This record gives sequence, C-alpha cells and structure tokens, in this order.
Amino acid sequence: MSRPGFVLEVDERTPALLMHEGEGFRLEKLPLGSRVIYPPESLPGMRDVDGEIRRALDNPLGREPLRELLYPGMRLTIVFDDLSIPLPPMRTPDIRQRVIEQVLELAAAKGVDDVELIAGNALHRRMTPAELKRTVGERVYRSFFPRHLRNHDAEDKANLTEIGHTKHGEVVEINRRAAESDLIVYVNISLTAMSGGPKSVSVGLASYRSLKHHHNVHTLRHSRSFNDPANSAMHHSYDRMAGLLGDSLKIFQIETTVNNDTFPTQLGFLNKREWEWSLKDQAAYLAVKRANDLAPPKRRRQIWHKTASPYGITSVTAGDPIQVHEVTMRHVLRQQLTEVDGPADIGIWGLPYICPYNVNSIMNPILVMSLGLGYFFNLYRNQPIVRPGGVAIYYHPVRNEFHPVHHPSYIDFFEEVLAETTDPVAIETKYEEQFATDPWYTHLYRNSYAYHGVHPLYMWYWGAHALEHLGEVIFVGGDRKTTARMGFRSASTLNDALEMARERVGGSPTINYQHAPPLTMADVR
Amino acid sequence: MSVSDHLRGQHILLTGGTGFLGQALLEKLLSTYPETRVTLLVRRRGSSSGTDRLATLLKRPVFAKWREAVGPEAAAAIVAERVSVIDAELGNTDVRLPSDIDAVIHAASTVSFDPPIDDAFRTNVQGVVDLYEAVKASGATPHVVHVSTAYVAGARKGVVPERSLDHDADWRIELAAARAARESVEWDSRRPAVLKRAIAEARKVHGKSGPQSTATAAEERRVEWVEKQLVEYGRLRAQSVGWPDVYTFTKALGERVAEETLTGAMPLSVVRPAIVESALRYPFPGWIDGFKMADPLVLAFGRGILPEFPGLPDGVLDVIPVDIVVNATLAVAAAPPPPETPAYYHVGSGARNPLTFRAMYDSVKEYFTDHPMPDGGRGQIKVPDWTFPGARRVERQLRTGERVMSVAQKALLSAPANKRTRRWQDDLTRQQDQLDFLRKYADLYGVYTEAEVIYTDTKLLALHRSLPGDRVEAHGFDAATIDWYHYLQEVHYPAITATMRKATAGRRTSSNALPPLRQSPNGGDVVAVFDLEGTLVASNVIETYLLARLCDLPRSGWPGEIADLVRKLPRYMAAERRDRGEFLRTFMRRYAGADEAGLARIVAERLGDALLRRSHPEAIRQVRKHRAAGHRTILITGTVDVLVQPIAGLFDEVVASRLHMRDGRYSGFLEAPPLVGEARAAWLRRYAENAGADLPASYAYGDSYSDRPLLEAVGNPVAVNPDPHLYRHAKSRRWAVAQWKAYTLPAGDVFLETVP
Repeated sequence: MSRPGFVLEVDERTPALLMHEGEGFRLEKLPLGSRVIYPPESLPGMRDVDGEIRRALDNPLGREPLRELLYPGMRLTIVFDDLSIPLPPMRTPDIRQRVIEQVLELAAAKGVDDVELIAGNALHRRMTPAELKRTVGERVYRSFFPRHLRNHDAEDKANLTEIGHTKHGEVVEINRRAAESDLIVYVNISLTAMSGGPKSVSVGLASYRSLKHHHNVHTLRHSRSFNDPANSAMHHSYDRMAGLLGDSLKIFQIETTVNNDTFPTQLGFLNKREWEWSLKDQAAYLAVKRANDLAPPKRRRQIWHKTASPYGITSVTAGDPIQVHEVTMRHVLRQQLTEVDGPADIGIWGLPYICPYNVNSIMNPILVMSLGLGYFFNLYRNQPIVRPGGVAIYYHPVRNEFHPVHHPSYIDFFEEVLAETTDPVAIETKYEEQFATDPWYTHLYRNSYAYHGVHPLYMWYWGAHALEHLGEVIFVGGDRKTTARMGFRSASTLNDALEMARERVGGSPTINYQHAPPLTMADVR
Repeated sequence: MSVSDHLRGQHILLTGGTGFLGQALLEKLLSTYPETRVTLLVRRRGSSSGTDRLATLLKRPVFAKWREAVGPEAAAAIVAERVSVIDAELGNTDVRLPSDIDAVIHAASTVSFDPPIDDAFRTNVQGVVDLYEAVKASGATPHVVHVSTAYVAGARKGVVPERSLDHDADWRIELAAARAARESVEWDSRRPAVLKRAIAEARKVHGKSGPQSTATAAEERRVEWVEKQLVEYGRLRAQSVGWPDVYTFTKALGERVAEETLTGAMPLSVVRPAIVESALRYPFPGWIDGFKMADPLVLAFGRGILPEFPGLPDGVLDVIPVDIVVNATLAVAAAPPPPETPAYYHVGSGARNPLTFRAMYDSVKEYFTDHPMPDGGRGQIKVPDWTFPGARRVERQLRTGERVMSVAQKALLSAPANKRTRRWQDDLTRQQDQLDFLRKYADLYGVYTEAEVIYTDTKLLALHRSLPGDRVEAHGFDAATIDWYHYLQEVHYPAITATMRKATAGRRTSSNALPPLRQSPNGGDVVAVFDLEGTLVASNVIETYLLARLCDLPRSGWPGEIADLVRKLPRYMAAERRDRGEFLRTFMRRYAGADEAGLARIVAERLGDALLRRSHPEAIRQVRKHRAAGHRTILITGTVDVLVQPIAGLFDEVVASRLHMRDGRYSGFLEAPPLVGEARAAWLRRYAENAGADLPASYAYGDSYSDRPLLEAVGNPVAVNPDPHLYRHAKSRRWAVAQWKAYTLPAGDVFLETVP
C-alpha cells in the first residue's frame, strides 16, 4: 500500500528540496517553518491492463456491454484525448492505443464497417501524423490514416452541427460526424480532476461558438478551482452541455487514470522525497543536473521533450459518462489529494518544462503564465494555498521564445496586446473577437499546426482567477523584460523574492510549497 | 566732405546683393544713406526673378532692425522708391545698365574655394569683363569699387602692400583655356577606357539590380568624374602660377580685367577684405548669413571631431567683421581716385591687430569649455587638445586614417549582416564623415591657416582717419579697435553655434522607426510590396530545394544529392554574385524531371510548415497590419510559385517564378524571366498604372541591395535585415531599417523537424 500524502514542515533537518524550473531543476533550501505539500506516494499500476480494459468494456456502468451496442451498418466514431495529456507523454504503447485496439476488435467482430477515429483537439493544434501514430499505435494508424483517422477541425463549418442551446442559452455545436454517429466511444486519460467526464465530447469536439460560453473571464473567475468540478462554474457549463448531448447522442465513455510515476528510472530521484534519496539518487541528481546545466538550451529542450513517462494505469472504467467519471475522479484524488491546514501568505511552485500546449514545442511566456497561474494555482479544493492578497513565487526562466508554427497568434498577443494591457477583462472585450475570427490564424489552425487564434487569450483567462486573488507574482530566475511585459516581477534568488514580497506579507510570512514533481492537489481546510 | 554727403543723391549699382557682404551693404545703404538710390543686379534663380529675390531678401534677418525701426509699410515704400532691380546674370547675358550711375560696387563672386574651373572663371573673370563692358557701354563714368580678396596676393610670405598685383598671368588666355576645359573633360569622360571603368565599378555594386540601375550609376559616376576633373584643373592651374586655389587665382585675374578695362576711363578702387566674419556691431552684433570660412572649423572643434589641424601656431588668421568691411567699402566709394591711378585697399586685421592661430585656438577652446555643445541627451561634448604637430604629420595621420577606413569599409561590406556589423558600420560611417571633413578643410584651408603673410592697410587707415570725428562711431573701420576677446567670445562664437545648439539639443531618437501605416480610404490604392527571402522568411532557394529533395529521397540517396549540390555550389555562388536572375535560372535546372503533383504534395505536407518555421513572425505581422489598414499586399519573389503557397494567403497578389512543364514534369526551365532587381520596380510601376496604385503613399520591404530599385519606387521604403550595402544606402537616405529576426527557428532545427 502506498503512503498517503502529507505536509512537511521545514526544520533544521530538512534537506534542500527539489524544484522544477523549466528545462531544469534545482535544490532549494526553504525558510524554516515553510510547509511542503507532497502527494500520496505513487499508487501501484495494474498488472494486466489489457485484461482490465476487456473487463471494463464487458461490464460498463449504466450501459450495456460495448459488444452489445455494436451492430453491422452502424456509424461508429471513436474520439480520443489529444496530445495535451498526459504530461509528459506516456511511454508507448499509449493507453489510448490499447483501448482503441480492443474497441476496434469488438467492432470488427460485430461487422461494423463505418468507423472513424477523431482526435478531440478542440482549438488545439492538429496532431502531426507522427503524433497520431504514437497515440493510436502503428496498426490502427496504418489502417485508418489519413481518411478515417483525423483531427477535429473546429473551423470546418460544413462539418459542425449545432445540437441546441442549454437552458442558460449556451450554444452546443460539435463535430458533425460524431454528432451523426450511432455511437460515440470516447477514450480518455484523466490526468487531473478537471478533465474527462462531461468535458470530453462537449469541449474536445466543439467549436469556438460553443467554447466561448465557458472559456471566458467571468466563468474562470468563478471556478474555484477548476479542478474541483462541484465549485467550478466552468464545469457547471460543461454539465449543462453534456446533459444536452446526452439527450441526443449515445456516448460510451472509457476513462483511465494514471499513477504518479512521472519520470523514468534514471530520473527516479524526481519521483522521491528528498530525504529518502539513496547515494545513487544523489549521484544521479548531481550528474543529471550538471549535464543539463551544461547542455545548450536547444539540446536541453530536445532531451526533455523526448522523455516519456512510465505511468502505471490505476483505473479503467467504461460506460455512461457521468457514472464513469465519478469513479475516475475518486482515482485521481486518491493519487493526488493531500490535506493542508489553511492557506499561507506565500505560495511557491516550481514550473516544469511542459504544459498541455507545448508538447514537442516551445514553452512560451504565455504558456508559463497559464501553467503557473492557471494549472498549478488551481490545483486546490476549498481555497487556494495562498491567502487572498498573498504572493505567488514561481520558478521558471520565462525566456522570450515562441514556436513560430505552433503559436503564431501567441507571438502577436505577447507583442501587441500585452504591451497594451494585461487585464483579462479588457483583453477579452477588446481583442477576443479579433483573434478568434482572424482569417490568417484560422488558415494556420486548419492547414498548418497552429493553435487557434483565440487560444493565447484563453491561456490568459486561465490565470484570471489567480490574478484576481494574488497580490503579487514573482518569478525566480525569470527574464526581467518578459515577466514585466506580463505584469509580473522577477527575482534572481528566493531570498530576493521573499524580500520583494515583504511589502505585501511582512518579514516573517507563512509559506506553502506545492511540491512538484509529481502533481499534487491541495485540499486546503 | 563727409561720406554721406558724398553719396547723397547718388545712384549706386550693387552686384552680389544677395550675398553675405552684399546684404550688409544694401542694409547700410537703406538704413543710413536716406538719399542714395540703389540698383541691384540680381540673377534669376529657378522660377524666381530678380524682383522676387529682392522681396525674399528683404525678409532676411539682416534687415530686421531697420524694418522694425521704420515700420514694415514705410520699409516697403522706401524700397519701392529707392531700390530697382536689373534681372541679369553676368557671364551669360547682355546687360543693359542705366546711364545715370554714380558708383558701382561689384561684390558678386563665387563663394566656393574649389569650384570647377569653368564656373570660377565665368563668375570671377567673365563676369567682371561683362559688367565693366556694360558700364562703359551705358555712357556713364561712375566710380567703380571692385571687391576682391586679400588672398589674391597668392601663396607667398612676408608683407603685401596695397597696390596692383605683380604677376604675368594673361587673363584672356586663362579664360579661353578654362572655357575649353569643360569641353575637353567632357570629351575625355566619354573615352572607352574611362567609360569601361565607370561601368565596371557601377556593375560591381549595382549589377544585381539590373542594367538600368547600372547605367544610371555609371552615368552618375561619369558626371561626378567630370566635376572632379574640372576642380582639379582649377586647383592645379592656380597652383602652377602661384595661387593656392582657383578662387584667389580668378579673383586676381578679375582685378587685372578691371585695371585693363577701366584705367583712364573712370575711377577704380579695389577693396581686398581678408576673411569676412560675423558683424561686430551692425546691423546687430553677431549677424551672420550661413557659415563663413572659419566657422565649420570652429563648429567641428566644438563638436569634438577635429582632433588636430595643420595650422602654424604663430600663423595669422586674418579675420575681419563684416560691418567693418561694409564701412570701409562705402568710404572707399565716397573717395574716388583719379581715373588714371586706381586705388587699392586691404581690409583686414593682420597688420595692426593680428589674431594668431594659437590665440584663436585658445579662444575657441575656452569658449567650448565654458559653453560646451550638447551631446544629444548624453551630457556635453569634450573638446580635444591640439598640439600643432605641423602639416606633414597631420597629412600623414590623415592618409593613414583614410587607408584604414577604406580597408575597414570593404571588409564590412562583405561581412555577414547582423546587429553588430551594422553598429560597426554606423561607427565607421561617422568616422568616415569626420575624416572626409578633415581632409576637405585641411586641403582647402591649409594655405590660409599656414599663412605667414601680412596685408598692410596704411591706405585704408588714412581713409579712416579722414572721417569726421562724429562719424567714426557709426562709419569707422579701424581694425585695431577690435577687442578679440569680446568679439570672439561674446559675439562671433555664440552667433555661429546658436543654430547648431538648437539642432543638436535633444536629438536622440533613431531614424530606424517604421513608417506609420496610414489607413487607406478608397479600397487599397496603397500597396505594400514584400520581398520573400531574407525579408519574410530566413530561408533561401538552396535551403528550400534541399528540404524538398531530402523529403522526397530515401536516405540512401542523400549523400549523392548533397555531394552534387556542394560540388556545384561555387558555380551557383558565382552566378549569384553576377546576377540574381542568372543564379535562379541555373539553380532551377535542378528541378528538372521532378513531377508537379509530387512537389505540390511535399509542399502541402512538409515544406509549408518548414517555410513558416523559417518565417519572421514580425514580418508576417507587418503584412497583416497592412491588410488591416486596407492596403493591397503584394509578394514579389524569384522563387517558384508552388513553394510560396503556404503564405500566399497573406497576399492579394503573388508574383513568383513559374517552372516550365512538359508532360506533368518540370523541364528545369523557367516560364518567364525571374523578377529580380529593377525588373521588380518596373513590374510595380506597371502594376501601379494598370491597377491604379498610389506609389508615393505605398510601402516596400526588402533585404538586399538588389531590392534598391523596388524600394526607391515607393514613398515608404523599409530595409529589413539589410545586407551591408543596403544598410549603408538606407542610412544615407534615412530609410526605416527593421530587424526582424526574433522567434525564427534556425535552419538546422527545421531540417530535423521537417525531414522524416
């Protein structure tokens, strides 16, 4: 049995603690009395994953077994989560491949000919053929690509269908092929508590028209946090949309969860608690740290992005989306949730090299913001780990670099919009429509590998709740100009950052460090 | 008899009235000789007639005090009553003069020390001939006051008395030779050998732009060469007969013309001022019109760019304030000598109140130490210390400097274009300017600053002493009364530095800013033209080809392909150096045999993103901004059209090369000549005519010097990541310069991400 998560109070015996900082990491001595939030130890993975999948497909919750839903002549659409999860990507074979292969075997056995596979990438960039192949596996790729294995195109007006309006007036518009199918099988990986369930089809296959109802500043400011669906306005919107979809579509949801084995064995120290490092771990740390610091930035990025996680699978559940998701959530929280006794004056996070939107790409400043103030800040239940008006300290170099193909509208957003204002509401009011409907961005989203034009704005909204909640944001090691452009401050060391935080929180602040890796969700009482 | 008594009721003919001394003379006549009439001989310039020029002239600062004193209406009335204008140019046209002239003051002259020989003779010799012939023809026998210069004495040492010059030069022969010089040089400049050199030099720089640009540049070079030759003709001829430059030479011959034409017929006085500088008292202290001889040196010193100068520390700088020259000239006019014996007067300070070069330097240094020039927001400029090492040392320093500079310039022009080399180029240009300046003044003024000569002024002093006591104050001209400290520190330096201070205060902004994008109101008559390679994308034809080829070939075929490309690379590069079109033609042969559908597929699947990876996001944003402003966007490139498909959507018009097809495969030939160099400008002009575009309001973006014709075709050119040649040109034309390299992925990464 794995040990539960716990909160460490830093005392004289506490060694320096591990901290992500972009494409690197460091050991940092935290002030005495700081509290460090560790997740439960990595849960054991399933031994017989294929067997568990089979069992789940045969014994779904609230649905007949999958084989009974399949019949000759039907239209079957298999939708799967895109490359934004899990992070880092999973070592092959990907769990999606394993699930899809079994679903396809069942379909073939039942004589289903009309099968389409669609990546639920919403406004994310298209997956490249190589990325699709890696996700669904060589066999499936060869049989279905390119005609029957595709990315969802949220701007292909002819292939979108309006399902209707929710009682709140939200438009639900999704992929036409999926909407017109006799059965949608959704293959999911739930890395955090925010994904899966009602989000899968209603977001993954939707268009901008539909997404703007929940991806906006107002909703996100009232999602506290968006990793706690019960208290998330965004999830309430998903629920309404999923309800509407459930009335007209038949969805067979297959959800999976992973454990916290984020890094391969040679980087094993990243998965362990620092005071338990063996001599081997310490040597590995020194060697890897040294090699990493010496490597040129480009090479460093390549190496990190080639790293695949040896995740263990902790659950496979199939059936009715709502019932399935309840089970999934339990598994996610079992792995990530740690109870914390109240917020602190200062919250500390080390930001890694990867986020959902820079897989095989470059982590640009906007993504750093959304990763820090969006994803990590919102890894809480009840209340943030920082008190209102408190200070967030992040570790990241925040270099001014962008991928010109993947993030073209990000560049313009950074250079033109942020130069003018960083206020999410002002940005939403003045720029959202322009970015969302820009024909060049749309062209690049559809034909190249660009994120949708509006995506950088969504990233900014993602941090809207944190921006409102926090009194100050400081990046340790952050590029001064880049952080200043985003309205943040940069410090060269933790001590400087604490000194800068003084005016907000005084000379002896309380500190919470949400330890990463691996992912930890704080249940702040 | 007092001066004004004598000139009362007289009619004076004044030439050179628009010049520095002429303006001051006219002002003095208007303000203090109420009963003297003036006729001005003014030549027409451009579309403004002599009368127009008088009207403009009267608005100049020199008349400000007088206008204020009498009131503007009265001033106009006085001018109408007392001043008339004869619209004529000496040396070119027949001049008809009134017959009631009592005195002639001939103050017209070339202002430059080193004009082409024919220009100098036309004004300073032929002009004198024409004027005095016209005076004779008019029937009057006025007193002629011929304004010359003290330096007509030529290059010599010792004391120069106030009398006729002693030399054997025959002005008729010299004048004829000077006239013939232009014709001869023009002939010379058309000799095949000379033209060949001009063309070769022009081709080296402009060859890539095209034949028209080359021809224009070659012709410019020829004209420049002619002018330079004629300047040489003048300077060397002058030096061979004992004058430092063509200016003093021709002024000396002018005196001889006056003597020969007028002696015995009418009274002649020759007035020889030294270096005329700002006014001591009249019309107001410090009045000056433009910069005079010594001023550029003073200013250059104050700006800290004159590290050393080839002057003799004990040499005399013979400076004389303009109001003293005016008073002297008018006093001379009032005292006609007998017609048989012309009178000569030196107006200078050297004889009785000398200002040595060393004293001048101390004074300038003191002034700029107490009142330093502002350094454009960076505090103030520090002035250098001079050691007076002598002309030879300075010359050697200069020559070494020039040699180093020329090597550095050449090296930088072939250096890679980046921020650092561009900054070096800026520094070099600044130093080159300073060096050129130094060279020019060292050559020109060497004689004046090394002068070991004293011009006596006994006769002038006698004239001054004959003035009645009550008139000395306003009409005196005794150089001994000048208090140099007061004149230089409190009058002259403040006057000449005033405009400069205004100009340099707060000058800090760089001229690199992009031109503002004005919204186009009527449906895109403004166009924005973009070059592709280097401007919009970092890739080039070879890189794109290699990507396309490697995407298509199995890995086993790579070594062969790459080896072949490398082997032919020198040939391609030689072609590229000669002519971009030739390079494209040669290189595109590599596409022979490729099938169209296959290439299109590779572009759609892989190359498109490679092109975007290599794009300059800032450039793309600029294209989009133009679109947002309602402009028509145009892409002009020599690259093949299929390869630019991925960004074609950004443009209303794509002008690219097309490969010739045979049975669905490329033949390796182009359909039409590639659009490069001036062909782009020609295309744009035709497009503007056909499609109705407003080129002066339009924009063009290019990175290479061969884009120059295209950039010059529009009103808002922008040099993007310019090569050294284009950068130099852009700087000299004050074009916007953009550095658009952020976020572009390096070629190596793109190869790795693109090739399977």
